[in-house]
Amino acid sequence: MKVRNQEGEKIDLLTVNIGPSHPATHGALRAFVALDGEMIRAAATEIGYLHRGFEKMVEQGTYQQVLPYTDRLNYCSAILNNIGFSHTVERMFEVEIPERATVLRVLLSELSRLIDHQVCIAAAAVDLGALTNYWYLFNPREDVYAIWEKLSGARLTNAFTRIGGLYRDTYEGFEDDVRAVLPKIEKGLDDAFRLLEHNRIFIDRTRGCCPISAEQAVGWGWTGPCLRATGVDRDLRKDDPYLGYETYDFQTVVGSTGDTYDRLLVRMYEMRESLSICRQALSRLEPGPVNTPDARLSLPGHDKTYHDMEALINQFKLVYEGVRAPAGEFYGSIEAANGELGFLVVSDGTGRPWKIKVRPPCFTQFAAYADLVEGSLVADAIACLSSLNIIAGELDR
Amino acid sequence: MTFQPVDLDKVLTPASAEGRKEFETRAFESLRSRFEAALDPRDRWGLTAVVPARHLRGAVRFLRDDPSCLMDLMLDITAIDYLGYPGHDGARFGVVYNLRSQRFGSNRLRLKVWVEEEDPVVPSVHDLYRIADWQERETWDQYGIVFEGHPDLRRLLNHVEFVGHPLRKDYPVRKRQWLSTNDPMILPLEARLEARGFQVLEHVAANSPSVEETDLLGKPAVEKVNYVEKAT
Repeated sequence: MKVRNQEGEKIDLLTVNIGPSHPATHGALRAFVALDGEMIRAAATEIGYLHRGFEKMVEQGTYQQVLPYTDRLNYCSAILNNIGFSHTVERMFEVEIPERATVLRVLLSELSRLIDHQVCIAAAAVDLGALTNYWYLFNPREDVYAIWEKLSGARLTNAFTRIGGLYRDTYEGFEDDVRAVLPKIEKGLDDAFRLLEHNRIFIDRTRGCCPISAEQAVGWGWTGPCLRATGVDRDLRKDDPYLGYETYDFQTVVGSTGDTYDRLLVRMYEMRESLSICRQALSRLEPGPVNTPDARLSLPGHDKTYHDMEALINQFKLVYEGVRAPAGEFYGSIEAANGELGFLVVSDGTGRPWKIKVRPPCFTQFAAYADLVEGSLVADAIACLSSLNIIAGELDR
Repeated sequence: MTFQPVDLDKVLTPASAEGRKEFETRAFESLRSRFEAALDPRDRWGLTAVVPARHLRGAVRFLRDDPSCLMDLMLDITAIDYLGYPGHDGARFGVVYNLRSQRFGSNRLRLKVWVEEEDPVVPSVHDLYRIADWQERETWDQYGIVFEGHPDLRRLLNHVEFVGHPLRKDYPVRKRQWLSTNDPMILPLEARLEARGFQVLEHVAANSPSVEETDLLGKPAVEKVNYVEKAT
């Protein structure tokens, strides 16, 4: 592509596609760039390669049938999406879920946040050529997947929550499994810390790489760790507490310069806080029901269904007609691993949602990507992309 | 494009439920007196203010800049199609702007603009929030709402050759479309180069599979878009 640059010289730019199908994009994302040597002079991004029509599909079924779809949003931390959606619908009913379900949701949220951050940090380090961290972070991640498998029967797409509580109570030995996995995660994290935090090569590659100021990040609608890396101390768990997060002792982690180094380090320090929340939640775990007794939301259970006519009708209507969310429009959100995950639910009072719009946290981050990488090297663009942790599942829906 | 810098040094403590209610009452009072806003009864949990399209930009700018609001975060822009919604009469679409304040932790507010099917046009707010650019593109893609003044209203999630707007209630769920070519994206790249002070001297021809090639597969051929011609 022949262009005249700002100084009036004629130069030849090379156009290259980064993605959509490349290991370094960690998903089907496309950045079409104009290169001057290794320098990106301009970039245009395209998304939609993983667009499955989530918002069209969810209008076809009942509220309960939406839940498994939410697994496929951010598939690195599927349970967080389940919790976000269930929590939103419960708030439309203004129903409180039992204490045990609340504490379990906090525990599962933080475990999901841990494994999500592990993906981001490990993949980012691999992109920079630091492969060892990958095993330090991914081995304990595998142990969390083993817990997921025992809990829900699925490794990746768990669909573990229900509107009004959880799919079922935990299995025997669940708490011991979690107690055993936390030190493993901590050990892997500490090892990765020691390898990365003061590593000359890592610092040279990431510090000052694709920075963004707090004002710009807010203008781009950023939330979550990427926003906190710019120094904005905002976390929905603190600002708009849900599931009783205000009663847990943890700190938000903020960066200062909003560069790739900060984005990764914020995630690493956040993992420490999540580990602490997990331990606090474990100590609060008391036996009890995991589903609300509210018959508008919860199934009556087999013993009642088979022996009681009203319970049978209740079961039938909940399964066939769905949970009937009150008519109206409601926006509920939680702090997912990448930022604010919101659901705008429009209900017409029937068991099927009129519309559900997902507000995915990645969307805002990737929208800024072209601006972030213009003027930087191709290798920096790759480092930047992995620090943003773009998950195509929720980006494209 | 200029953006109002937001003083984020001093972040305020999270608002209580009463504080939030008080903010909503105050913000709505200002919106009502200055921008003819009305309450949307469909939002029974928070605050959705319906404003006429001609006041949308004023209302958004007010919410963003007024020291008592500082809704500096545009969470989302989307539309709701009310075709066939029980008991609904009036405009078919509502375009929803979902706002939150970073400065005042949890203050939230939604704006809604009614849009008629025959004339689905609302003013764009892409210059007030940078993220609105993509959010408006997505809404146009999915619902066919035209954002007047948007510099580059292209599809975002759906394929470049896609016809129709899939989230409209009258778009059949099972409808399939044959889409054959890549989006060459030459034009957006050239636009970005020019925005950065480069002058494009020679337009590159878009490389896409030929129409004949798709004919051989026995599938309906699509009309090829001539990007080079469009560019000049």
